[in-house]
Amino acid sequence: MNALRRFLNNGDINRFRLWFQLGAFGLLIYGGFLAMDIGNSLPTFSCVFVDSRAGACYLYPLQHQVNMPWSQFSGGRGIGLAVGLVTFFLFFVLFNKAWCGYACPLGTVQDWITKLRARLGIRYSLYANETFGRLKAIKYVLLALLILLPLGISNSLFGLPKLPRDLATSYCMICPGRTVLPLFTGDASQLAIDFSSRTMMALTGLGMAITGGFFAGAFVKKRFFCLFCPMSALQYAFSKAGLLRLTKQGAKCTRCGNCSRVCDVGIREIADDVTSRNIVQDDCMMCFKCVAACPESHCLAVTFLGMPVYEATAEGFMRRTKRRDNHG
Amino acid sequence: MRYFAGIDMGSTAIKIALVDQQGSLSGHTVVPTGSFFQKNTLEALQLLLRERGIERSDVAYLLSTGYGRKLLPEADETISEITANAAGARAIAGSAAIRTIINIGGQDSKVLLLDADGHIRNFVMNDKCAAGTGRFLEMTARNLGTDVGELGNLHCRSSGAPLSITSTCTVFAESEIISLLARGHGKEELVAGVHYSIARRIVRLARQIGIEDRVFFDGGPALNSGMVAALEDELMLQVVVPAAPQLTTAIGAATLARTAWIDTGEQVNA
Amino acid sequence: MDKERRERLIRTTGVHLAMEATETLRQVVEEFPDNPRAMDYFYDLFRAEYCGGGAKKNGAMRIGMLCVQAPEELIRAAGAVPVRLCSGSHAFDQAGAEFMPAKACSLVKATLGMLSLRTAGGAERLDLVVNPTTCEQKKKAGELLEDFGYRVHHLEMPPAKDSEEARIYWQRSVKKFAAVLEETTGVRITKQRLAKAIRTTGMARSAYRRLHELAKWPRPLIRGKDVMLVTNAYFFDDLDRWTAAVTELADEIEQRRETNLPGAGKHAPRILFTGSPPIFPNLKLPLLIEQAGGVIVVDEVCSSSRLLHDQVAYDEQALYDMVPAVADRVLKPCTCPVFLSSQDRVRRLLDLAASFAVDGVVYQSFAGCMPYALEQRSVGQALVNANIPMLSVETDYGPDDQGQLSTRVEAFIESLRGKARKRA
Repeated sequence: MNALRRFLNNGDINRFRLWFQLGAFGLLIYGGFLAMDIGNSLPTFSCVFVDSRAGACYLYPLQHQVNMPWSQFSGGRGIGLAVGLVTFFLFFVLFNKAWCGYACPLGTVQDWITKLRARLGIRYSLYANETFGRLKAIKYVLLALLILLPLGISNSLFGLPKLPRDLATSYCMICPGRTVLPLFTGDASQLAIDFSSRTMMALTGLGMAITGGFFAGAFVKKRFFCLFCPMSALQYAFSKAGLLRLTKQGAKCTRCGNCSRVCDVGIREIADDVTSRNIVQDDCMMCFKCVAACPESHCLAVTFLGMPVYEATAEGFMRRTKRRDNHG
Repeated sequence: MRYFAGIDMGSTAIKIALVDQQGSLSGHTVVPTGSFFQKNTLEALQLLLRERGIERSDVAYLLSTGYGRKLLPEADETISEITANAAGARAIAGSAAIRTIINIGGQDSKVLLLDADGHIRNFVMNDKCAAGTGRFLEMTARNLGTDVGELGNLHCRSSGAPLSITSTCTVFAESEIISLLARGHGKEELVAGVHYSIARRIVRLARQIGIEDRVFFDGGPALNSGMVAALEDELMLQVVVPAAPQLTTAIGAATLARTAWIDTGEQVNA
Repeated sequence: MDKERRERLIRTTGVHLAMEATETLRQVVEEFPDNPRAMDYFYDLFRAEYCGGGAKKNGAMRIGMLCVQAPEELIRAAGAVPVRLCSGSHAFDQAGAEFMPAKACSLVKATLGMLSLRTAGGAERLDLVVNPTTCEQKKKAGELLEDFGYRVHHLEMPPAKDSEEARIYWQRSVKKFAAVLEETTGVRITKQRLAKAIRTTGMARSAYRRLHELAKWPRPLIRGKDVMLVTNAYFFDDLDRWTAAVTELADEIEQRRETNLPGAGKHAPRILFTGSPPIFPNLKLPLLIEQAGGVIVVDEVCSSSRLLHDQVAYDEQALYDMVPAVADRVLKPCTCPVFLSSQDRVRRLLDLAASFAVDGVVYQSFAGCMPYALEQRSVGQALVNANIPMLSVETDYGPDDQGQLSTRVEAFIESLRGKARKRA
């Protein structure tokens, strides 16, 4: 057991993640060809606009399900909403936000763009801390809109007139998942502006602009889009219940900042917070690069049901440093 | 009958105490340190043993302490005077629940803080400087052309306010005392001033670790009633002064010698 | 300075230095039974460096550093050899006294004395001196070095390290330093060279950490006086040779694990040493602790653990990521008391005390060193709250307080014995 643990801790989780992401990407985007279907409440961007998907992103059904008059919430459709939410929760709770770091196809695409940028020797950019604080709030606004807009179609909210039906899946219309992911199946049809109505035109136009921003952003900033992702916001609401966790023993921390330095989403708390045990922040995608970069034994750890699965160790740190250098 | 000896080799005097198997004091002596302290120590020990009719071979364990503790090859073990002092106060005061010990020695002064069991919780010593030590008193007596033993009486006879000694360094204080005398100030007020100056210094030292009632005051200068009075004033507390304050550390060493012998005995038997 | 007087000063100081070094080595080597065999490398190294007129310095450019905060990885990547200049010699302390106020810290005075004479301790040939702006005394010493004719780079440090602003300021400062290094050595710092420097220093740090970990064993396997020689050797020794010697030492210590170190059984009080750094030949306080029967199992001083503990991690193998990573390594985890907050140092001490099962802490502050004296209160309070006894000692490089110190240290160790026995 100790030998196994040591073997795992000495391992290079970044390499493992690279392959895992590739596998997950293939499965989610092309799984449909093998008639795979893992439901439509997935806590990750397995986009419904990809025909060969192996399951669907929960945000799409969620928008549909909340689009009903208040009276129906207690009826059959209400149960449908509840079932969807519970399924989402069950999927999510198992792997927590690692869905973002290991499974999300849109995240993987961004990581590939980052790899390309680094290979070209082009410097990444960083947010100043205050900018970061302001930008992170956007995803909660998007999440709120994602639920309020469909509700506003079936109900009159705040005394306003009911909203046009075209806003039913408004988030999907602006999500870069819709435009980018089908490209991997050779489907570029989503890369267009829908002129069928003024609402659709505005939404898909915005979607195109965001897609452009997605590529440009991902090229200069690691995991650029994830900062705005409403899925990340929705997940964070349940994160405390996750079985997979990222934990920290503050007493062991020297605040050297290695963890924060390698963090793709630039989380400072991972280095500076020395009191929280559960250290998962709302932007965290549980990629565990921080654990691999931590030189203090047992300071950062990945646990499943409280059992350590992958821990920072001084030995593991050194092994990874040596290995990396040999690989150039 | 077995006996245990504690030898406190101070910078001014050598203090020897003997305890018996029950741990009660069975003899003590104080001799000046002098230049040949090793020879003086052994002679004093021999004399003490002869007086008490004890054979050298009956002394089962000899513990040396004090500044010269490492210079006595005859010792079975050495221990620092701080640990010995605490043990001595514990042995003398018994159930009196001493929490603070103030010791003024020949060339240093120290304050010990004890826990409820009489073990050392914290301690401080003065810096490498003779101000606030017995040496300061000796220097004062010398300049006044009197004996250290007289200082207490002089202090008690003083009627005016004690003179303020501003210099904290012994060397400068010496010239300050001479000039105060030259200006016609009374010996009595000057002595009282010296006592207050020393007391103030040691109380300031003690405040670094905190002072808890009751306070035990020992070391040679505790024989000086003026010094005791000044210290009590500065502490704003009553202090406990043992009958032979200069012997506390030697008694502590003798007590510890007995414990050490019992411990080794147990180890041998076990 | 008049030439003849200078020559006399050099000669006399040299004699005093050799006397001090010989005496310290005698105590380190002869007063303790059963020194690890692998320590001979270090004993010989110091003998050669201090008693035999100094080892021959090889051809590479030598860059002196006045504090730990100069990133050695950059110096090595620029093809030069870093030399830590902090001196522990009383002879140099006296030679340096003429440049600083009498109440200044011994370490700074000794370093200045050494650098004014340029005879030993690494000062023989220096192509550049880096002066990280830590405490005010070091800052002013750096300024004086310019008067001595050294080429000095003042590596500007922020007064706090927690804020983002401080970090950015420091990263810029380090970047500027990298440019100065390239200019000095004429060697470009490339990502390959920097990666190699990070790896080789990382391996040295790893070797040290292994030794460090072994000290957690319930029975002390190695004494602090030896560990401090090992870490002090890092000041001037060849990196690869040092790493190999430490690895060999760690191997031997590992084999010893089953045997009890004579004189330091499981009842020996375990000490954590913190405060002003003990630097050879001034191992006065560590030696007193171990002569009194205590064992320094761990320390938190910049001449030892703080010098070698922290490791660099970077995300992308490119200078834009690696240079800031190296900068972060020396700033973020640094527990030097010159920084605004003592919180990191307190946390570090509490963790070390717990993980090394420490019985007591000895806090050294050099007379004249304000930063350490100032932090004594907060550290002491935290230790009291954690029920860990602490002995505070103010001392300097002079031998005068030896007698009084030994009484205090012995009393402290004696008071810990009961605790150590209970633990064992």
